[in-house]
Amino acid sequence: MSTVVNTPRPTSAADPSGPAAPLDRLRALQSEGRLVTEYPSVAPLLAELAHGDKGAADLVRAGQLLSRLDPEEVAAANPGTLTVSVAVAGHSTVGALAAPLTAELARHGILLRLALGDFDGYLRELQDTGSQLYAPGLDLALVVLDAQAVFDELPVVWRVEDLEKAAGTKLAQLAKLVERYVEHGTGTLVLNTLPLHRLHTHQLVDLRSRAALGVAWREFNAGLLRLAAVHERVVVIDLDPLVALGGALNEPRMASYAKANLGDELLGRYAREIGHLARTLRGRAKKVLVLDLDNTLWDGVLGDDGADGIAAATTFRGEAFGNFQKIAKQIGSQGVLLAVSSKNDQEPVLEVLRTHPDMVLRDTDFVRVNANWNPKDGNLRDIAAKLNLGVDSFVFADDSPFETGLVASSLPEVAVVRLDEEPALHVERLLADGWFDVRELTAEDRARAALYRVESDRQDLLDSSGSLEEYLEQLGVQVKVAAVGEADLARVAQLTLRTNQFNLTTERLQPAEVRERIEDPDHLVLSVRSGDRFGDNGVVGALFAHRTPQGLHIDNLLLSCRVFSRGIEQATVTSVLAYAVAQGLGPVTAAYRPTKKNHRVRDFWPSLGFEPNGGDEEELSFSHPLAELPAVPSHLRLDTDF
Amino acid sequence: MITETAFIQIVRDELALPLAETDLENDFDKVVSWDSLHLLRLIAAVEKETGKRVSVGKLLSERSLRGIYTLLAA
Repeated sequence: MSTVVNTPRPTSAADPSGPAAPLDRLRALQSEGRLVTEYPSVAPLLAELAHGDKGAADLVRAGQLLSRLDPEEVAAANPGTLTVSVAVAGHSTVGALAAPLTAELARHGILLRLALGDFDGYLRELQDTGSQLYAPGLDLALVVLDAQAVFDELPVVWRVEDLEKAAGTKLAQLAKLVERYVEHGTGTLVLNTLPLHRLHTHQLVDLRSRAALGVAWREFNAGLLRLAAVHERVVVIDLDPLVALGGALNEPRMASYAKANLGDELLGRYAREIGHLARTLRGRAKKVLVLDLDNTLWDGVLGDDGADGIAAATTFRGEAFGNFQKIAKQIGSQGVLLAVSSKNDQEPVLEVLRTHPDMVLRDTDFVRVNANWNPKDGNLRDIAAKLNLGVDSFVFADDSPFETGLVASSLPEVAVVRLDEEPALHVERLLADGWFDVRELTAEDRARAALYRVESDRQDLLDSSGSLEEYLEQLGVQVKVAAVGEADLARVAQLTLRTNQFNLTTERLQPAEVRERIEDPDHLVLSVRSGDRFGDNGVVGALFAHRTPQGLHIDNLLLSCRVFSRGIEQATVTSVLAYAVAQGLGPVTAAYRPTKKNHRVRDFWPSLGFEPNGGDEEELSFSHPLAELPAVPSHLRLDTDF
Repeated sequence: MITETAFIQIVRDELALPLAETDLENDFDKVVSWDSLHLLRLIAAVEKETGKRVSVGKLLSERSLRGIYTLLAA
């Protein structure tokens, strides 16, 4: 069996010999006045806290501590901290959202800059383009609504017809305000469906009217959800599934005295969704799900029980594992890469994945199968290196407290899903967080796993080639740089949101912002497609530029990590320089803004003949005089269409 | 019944407010960043601690933590 090389931190607060529980450690940091300077240690503490028995309540307590910090002080003391600015407007009081929102964002290492609106201020604040919802640079405008927003419009004595009318009027009003927001606001507007309370339906004593109310209410909520389909910068959080998790919709006394119509528990769940939305805004959605095998994907231990002794179907427990496999496959079908890290021998594992009748997941569903006896933190690093991704884009699920503890302590940037001996709870645990949430899926997402698998064929060619040059010659790379149209808009926006390593300025753009640039004749928005003898890679990169009085400025260049080091980036820039020459534009300028992730492209511009043109630690500027253009690498074929 | 020590502990713990000793006696206007949501959160925590239901409506008109504690301990 495995040797213990690295003892994970005990995760149970009950262990008297272990370190203090995370909430106590957080309080200690606060009382010692070190919370601001040691803010980076907050995220792992909160990750631990969230796994505790009273995770939700403890997160709120932690959020109360953290919400008293001055975000400007924290940002100043910790340069490079991701921040997200959020304004909240509501029908009820919105103060109770501050603590859970602060905690849920901090859990992802995101510092919250929060502006809370007035009680029942949402209509005025949506109407007034000078309100904090419209503040320049705002990331998220949360408009938190509850059923009273409609019921308050009813006469003292009402019939279902009154409710139907009020709901219709309110929906029309909201639709208009949303349009106003999309036109004048800069952030993403977040609405929610309005949960219906029994206190609402049962004010009607006749069942026919009650049913009619149910219909009208759901049509109203469906209308709200449709607003997100119409507007790219609108998200509607469906509260029904969050309410269905159980617990009271609100606390009647809090509702009556404090106008808190949505209870703490529900607001906590809402805040969790917002935490994941904030992650996607900052390009931090997880990309890889790494799964253990024994007692995670199947019942039993392959090494002890043999292939005939494990099950993922036919038995009660087996079926629960089979269900978990289905969910993993479902997630994998949407662009999340699946990988295995398992303490097993490789061959028997591959045999089971290829031939065992119970398996829903097959070997071809995984981009990497690491079955070996190395410590799992090392395995995760290995998988990350092979996929050319950071471990911070990983989610790791395992039933062993030892393994989850090890990974949580030695790789705190990995999101850990702690499973246990009850497989019927595996699915719930995996889906408890929206680790893989994105705004929109693209064709590339659905094909991603296949694209990564082809990568191993390329790796084989590289291994058999005498040199990198020989490999590239045989690869037959084709590159097409073209103006972005409707078909590639979502993918290009997504590249700006997800790409971290080859991202020269890390400017994140929502689809609506990409569209604005496409429609602006001074802007150039280009997609980069690539392919080779093994197949089409799809849209793998993007370049943003705009004309200036002096010439052309490249705002950003990004490239998927799948296709690094094939000359694609060089060909792309060369095509833009040639364009500037052909258009008679002046020098082409560009910038590099360092982040924690993009240091490998620090010397990219100079490598193509750009000259340093000043700048500071925040941003280095470069300029290309266009006297001599870099060559298109001879091993690839370049097409341009812009 | 709840002791004064336990009450203060709950105030500090649940509300994460950096309260001075004198804040127990002070009018809420003088207590650091106090608002009515704090009161309701406090009541919920006290109820959880004692297992006894508190009459929120009566407490709302109190103006100091001392006043609230006196009502709770009565």
